[in-house]
Amino acid sequence: MPKALRQLLRAFAVLVVFCWSAGPILFVVSSSFKRQLDIFAYPPKVVFQPTFDHYVALWHQWDAFLPTLWNSVIASVGATVLAVGVSFLGGYVYSRYSGKLLAISAVYMIAIRLLPPIVVTLPLFPVVDYLGLSDTLTVLILLYASFWVSMCTMIIKTFIDEIPTELDEAAFVDGATHLQTITRVILPLSLQGMMAAAIFVFVYSWNEYLFALIFTTQNAKTAPLVISEVMDAIYGTDWGVLFAGVTIQLVPVVALVVLGQRLLVAGLTAGAVKG
Amino acid sequence: MMKKPGSAAVALLAPVHLLLLAAIALPSLYVFWMSLNESTYGADPVFVGWRNYEVVLTDPYFWRAALNTFVVTNVVVYLEVAMGLGLALLFTSGLPFRKLMFAAVLMPYAVSEVVGVLAWKILMDPNYGVIGRTLADLGWGMNWSASPVQGLVLVSIISIWQHLPFTFLLLYAGLLSIPRAVYEAANIDGAGPVRTFCHVTLPLLVPTLLIVVIFRLIFAIRMFSEVWLLTKGGPARLTEVLSVYLYEGAFRNGEFGTAAATGWLMVVSSILVASFYLWQMQKRIASGNA
Repeated sequence: MPKALRQLLRAFAVLVVFCWSAGPILFVVSSSFKRQLDIFAYPPKVVFQPTFDHYVALWHQWDAFLPTLWNSVIASVGATVLAVGVSFLGGYVYSRYSGKLLAISAVYMIAIRLLPPIVVTLPLFPVVDYLGLSDTLTVLILLYASFWVSMCTMIIKTFIDEIPTELDEAAFVDGATHLQTITRVILPLSLQGMMAAAIFVFVYSWNEYLFALIFTTQNAKTAPLVISEVMDAIYGTDWGVLFAGVTIQLVPVVALVVLGQRLLVAGLTAGAVKG
Repeated sequence: MMKKPGSAAVALLAPVHLLLLAAIALPSLYVFWMSLNESTYGADPVFVGWRNYEVVLTDPYFWRAALNTFVVTNVVVYLEVAMGLGLALLFTSGLPFRKLMFAAVLMPYAVSEVVGVLAWKILMDPNYGVIGRTLADLGWGMNWSASPVQGLVLVSIISIWQHLPFTFLLLYAGLLSIPRAVYEAANIDGAGPVRTFCHVTLPLLVPTLLIVVIFRLIFAIRMFSEVWLLTKGGPARLTEVLSVYLYEGAFRNGEFGTAAATGWLMVVSSILVASFYLWQMQKRIASGNA
């Protein structure tokens, strides 16, 4: 194949990949800045006069959206802190101790995570109701964290494995207690691993739909759930306002993934391949 | 130096395992008990043995959902792995705007299934979507809300779009971990790019490919949001997948016994797929280099 043709093909492939991956996202984001008439213009308007009307309307008319966004923030931050916190302790144990029982519990930990989440909703539904946790962010935080502690533990374990055990021993020799060794020596050195784990839990919790659909009805609704309700409304969907809401929901976490891509890659290989 | 776990280790492990036990392990086991009982809202469960399984396994809608799940799962996973591999090869062979492209490829991972469905639903709409109208102009008009097959095609497209970043990243990492010296040796031996790929790259990538395929199969079996948000299982319940069938039964019709039986069947199929992966993993943990 001549070189020019090969380069042309490569450029074409790059264009296709870009449109496929980023296209739908750019479509939503750009539509939120288009006038209602231009949103569904065909052929689509690539160059247009941007308007912030939909964001103003979102603020004034769709005032139910902002509290649900706040619910999403609390659920995601809560689940992330809980999952990463307990996974750090677990990851430390899996990294520094060994034994047959421990190896079996590691396999069990990964295996249990592979069960379909919808299955556990059946028995949990009445229990959650009985405990008065129905329609609360607490139940979402607990569920989101539970489904991620396996992977987070494995990610953090892999990062702690990189810390030489001589450091632990030196701390012991210097008279540090077990707890002091963990908090003063291991913790600061495994922050990267914890951040890698945190990205996964946060992105999942921020976007989760199934548990929110089943366990929340009013007060604890998260942003994805409300977006889905509005998009299902047959009459009078105000597309511009919906796109504005979606953009606000979307952009922070897309930015997080793009900026944290190094950690994401490290975490994924640590959690899925090495684990 | 590795220590034997003592009481301190048990205490540190307790939170992780309490969460797993309370939220996943015990509920999953309890589902099996539920599947042997007939229960609905506000009524005491009655033990019925295997009858719920009989009901489910003789329900044509269950088999339709099982068939849909099987077909969609396989189409999605193998297409996605092929696309991910192509993408990973594109990245290892060098491409313009590398950083921007890498970010763009990762983006769908950050998007909620709800937003993914919303964007694709509008883009593909035959009346006012950019892609849908273009396809219609070309004579390939889609009507995915009326045709079950087209509905499932769109579901598959959305699912691939959403999960391609995951597949790509694992395959890319796998490709990068192949030592450069192997390629140099193939080059010296006079192997062309196609032969190098078939006889060097692919065999060395098999472990990664296995992990990716198994992971994706397990996650595709539980597919719910894409279908529920796009078609609600319709028209006439023809696009239901197993999770949607279960959700309809339990949370719409209040038939928890048969839903639990469905759930347990899903668990068993996931375990069958997963056991191969776990068997591989245990070998590695047992040999001490987890």
